[in-house]
Amino acid sequence: MQIRLREIRKSFKVYKRPEGKWGLLRGAFMRNVTRVDALGGISFDIEEGELVGYIGPNGAGKSTSVKVMSGILTPDSGECTILGKIPWKHRVEHVSKIGVVFGQRSQLWWDVPVADSFDVLKDIYAIPPGDYRLRLSELSATLGVEALLRTPVRQLSLGQRMRCELVAALLHRPKLLFLDEPTIGLDAVSKLALRNFLKEENRKYGITMLLTTHDMDDIEALCQRVMVIGHGQLLYDGQLSGLQQKYAPEVVMKVNTDAMIAAMYNDLALG
Amino acid sequence: MNFRNTWRACSSLFRIRMAEGLQYRVSAISGTMVGVFWALIECVLFTVFYTYSENGSWNNNGLSLPQAISYVWLAQGLFVLQSMNIDSEIMSKINNGDVGIELCRPMNLYTHWFVKSSAGKLGTSWIRGLATVLAGLLMPAGYALGGPASLPALFYFLLSAVMAFVLCSAFAMLVTAIRLNITWGDGPTYMLLLLSGILSGTYLPLRLWPDFMQTFLYLQPFGGFADIPLQLYIGSVAPAAALPGIGLQLLWSLIFIAAGRMIMKRRLHSIIVQGG
Repeated sequence: MQIRLREIRKSFKVYKRPEGKWGLLRGAFMRNVTRVDALGGISFDIEEGELVGYIGPNGAGKSTSVKVMSGILTPDSGECTILGKIPWKHRVEHVSKIGVVFGQRSQLWWDVPVADSFDVLKDIYAIPPGDYRLRLSELSATLGVEALLRTPVRQLSLGQRMRCELVAALLHRPKLLFLDEPTIGLDAVSKLALRNFLKEENRKYGITMLLTTHDMDDIEALCQRVMVIGHGQLLYDGQLSGLQQKYAPEVVMKVNTDAMIAAMYNDLALG
Repeated sequence: MNFRNTWRACSSLFRIRMAEGLQYRVSAISGTMVGVFWALIECVLFTVFYTYSENGSWNNNGLSLPQAISYVWLAQGLFVLQSMNIDSEIMSKINNGDVGIELCRPMNLYTHWFVKSSAGKLGTSWIRGLATVLAGLLMPAGYALGGPASLPALFYFLLSAVMAFVLCSAFAMLVTAIRLNITWGDGPTYMLLLLSGILSGTYLPLRLWPDFMQTFLYLQPFGGFADIPLQLYIGSVAPAAALPGIGLQLLWSLIFIAAGRMIMKRRLHSIIVQGG
């Protein structure tokens, strides 16, 4: 068992301003504090090499649980072992074996060429130089970023940057990859390329991946297993087809719109 | 992670941050102009006070006018080591939740940020510091930065200036650790930084403060930012007294580092990573 969560709970304090005419003023002196349960006792297991989709409405607790699993947040209670370690207790050892991609955040240095960022990551993760060269050329060839390596990050387009983020997350050969909305804001061609790449990495190296997204085509293309979370509870854990049988039994045919648009872009030589 | 790897990672981070800082050349030029402007105003003020004080009493305060003027120029040069605010990259990471990404690095967060913020400061400001000192050397005689009191004085000044860099960085990190408590806002950090600036002697040489405060001023940590190296240079502190002074800087650096690490460790247990 690579990831094991048992009854993980986490709540946050939320400060609310009193309502009414004088609320603004009163709020400066006394605040109403309410506790919001982001995670209300989540338990699941993920095996090595699985590619799991993690879905749920906004504010359901997806990001919070990813943060707990990547050692950033300490939960209020519950057990969690990942690769045999407790993430928040052995943070440094733990994070040297995982990779993270947050679609809305960047881990690259904004003002310097991409390659410089990779060099720093090489030293931070203590990747042996030979392996680093090998891995970098392999990743940049598959993702098509060789031509971008000397460009400052601030001048990359979103799609180019996301591909570089993926390289950055995978340079140190993590056994586990957390992807938090990796395809957010990407065009159809980039999305398809990204999905193919993730599938290949998973097949070739058996990297376990946990994918958080709102794009159901991502899930459909990549994941055999989905977990649905809502109000901090795990609501469904199983095959995607199981969800379809339950909630959309009459759907017989659908158009893969991403593939359609990508074909159009390619046809018009826009991609 | 062993020591060698940490060292490599640190020097790598230091390099990239310096490279980033060096892109802002215009800021170095404008910074130099501000520094020179301030130094000139202070030179004029001191000249007036020394010349027209009652019975020339200012001349018996332990600091001669040329010494005071040298002090002013070097203080402006060393001023770049002090933080006026928390490193902007780190601050934005605290505010928007990118601290999460930093925590996904196999490195102690304190070490990571210590290197980042000290390199960030040095990257943008070593040109400014040197240019200000150079401008001081080129001023007309009455307002010029004089030479060091002696060769050992110069040597101890340089040593002490390096320690001042460490001390300033350690203090900046302590303030950053306090600032990790995001709901406190900027108030406490600005108060701490302003207090440290005043007590460092940058605005008024510590020797010119009231006599009864001198023992306190010598022992308090912020003199190590500027006053200790500067007094060594102008010779109002003899080279023989250099090592205790530098030892004091070292001691305070260690205290700041220990306190910063402790606070940061505690904060990280209860940290809230902002945003989704």
